[in-house]
Amino acid sequence: MKFDDVVRTLDAAVVHRGAPAEGADIRHVAASDLMSDLLVADRHGHLLVTSLASDQAVRTADIVGAAGLVVVNGKNLPATMVSLAKELDMTLLRTNLRMFEACVKLGKALGA
Amino acid sequence: MLVPSPLIPMPVLPLTSEQSPLVLLDLLFKLKVRDVMTTDLVTARRADTLRYVQALMKTHRITGVPVVENGRLFGIVSMDDIMTALDRGHIDDPVERHMTTTVVVLEEDMPLSFGASYFDKYRFGRFPVLNKDNSVVGILTSRDISASLLLELYKEYHKLEAQVQPPAPVGAPRTSLQVRVKQNDLENAGKGAHEIKRALAARRVDPAHIRRASIAAYEMEINLVLHSSGGTLRTTIDNESVEIVARDRGPGIADVQLALQDGFSTANDWIRSLGFGAGMGLGNIRRVADEFSLDSKAGGGTTVRAVIRLPPPVPEEAPHAGG
Repeated sequence: MKFDDVVRTLDAAVVHRGAPAEGADIRHVAASDLMSDLLVADRHGHLLVTSLASDQAVRTADIVGAAGLVVVNGKNLPATMVSLAKELDMTLLRTNLRMFEACVKLGKALGA
Repeated sequence: MLVPSPLIPMPVLPLTSEQSPLVLLDLLFKLKVRDVMTTDLVTARRADTLRYVQALMKTHRITGVPVVENGRLFGIVSMDDIMTALDRGHIDDPVERHMTTTVVVLEEDMPLSFGASYFDKYRFGRFPVLNKDNSVVGILTSRDISASLLLELYKEYHKLEAQVQPPAPVGAPRTSLQVRVKQNDLENAGKGAHEIKRALAARRVDPAHIRRASIAAYEMEINLVLHSSGGTLRTTIDNESVEIVARDRGPGIADVQLALQDGFSTANDWIRSLGFGAGMGLGNIRRVADEFSLDSKAGGGTTVRAVIRLPPPVPEEAPHAGG
């Protein structure tokens, strides 16, 4: 799934479009509000979905080598989170969908 | 008045002295006046009143206005001229009766070093700049020079940095990184791990191993921030391995075996609200590491050590032929 497909599927606002998102082929999604869970998932180039709107969500995405981070539940993103996403060039999306809805839509789009 | 005042001991722009860094002197010779001058000119005409010029100065926050008609320079009105006019009551007179007509000018293709020397030589705040046809094309202030030099120095700095730190030091010697981690300083947690990630990427380590080392370092940093009273994260990278050691000052772990079990955590609600404290951290470090050790006792410090063995660096890509 291409980056633009993710944006369309989740009706998401693109807060920051990082260079690695261009041409990325997203095949896996990891969703959790616990960063510890996201740090355990053994893959990279995937999409992280969380309702945790914090700097550490961006740090976690960067550390695991994720292709992008989606914040669900229409959460307001702190300014520090947005500036960190820009600094680390981490693609950051925001959607009004709830975690479950977002995961179902992404799962269907990925043919799961 | 062309004689420098002896009462001002400090040079306006101390840039041409022998103490100036070579890189600055080089820039002063390389740049021309035209590269630095302001071309968006605020000018007056001879028939304008001094009060009008005073308003121009106030609006544009400038201290001198050249008097120009059809590109030709007739004189200059300075803040001093305006103050004299106010003092002597001729502020409503036309400019041409009181402007300074002996104007020191620069030519646009002069080196900037020449322009900079004028500020010390004549003590004026600005110099109109003429082209070869003697038309006014700009004005040079000391602020223009400072701003341009800063910008050029910034560019030079980046060029030098690129020369000093080659991006792919394959077979590079040992690298050591150390960061201090403060208790509860979640804002900065992860910066150390990011530096390790960058250092490994610069050594062209493959992404999977970068990821394992970054995760180990990040989990250690988070543990130091959330569970200790502060400590250090020390990383040593060579061609064979990455060794990451987190050492804190306490409070220590009462039951190490229990702490290593996935799901066990002493985290409070605050930690959990931040997305941590699931009891996965130590287990995750052990999972991504080739060697792992934990040394701790209740009431003392804790040392966690993880080693990730590295495969040979990815060979450098051959440069593309042609251009």
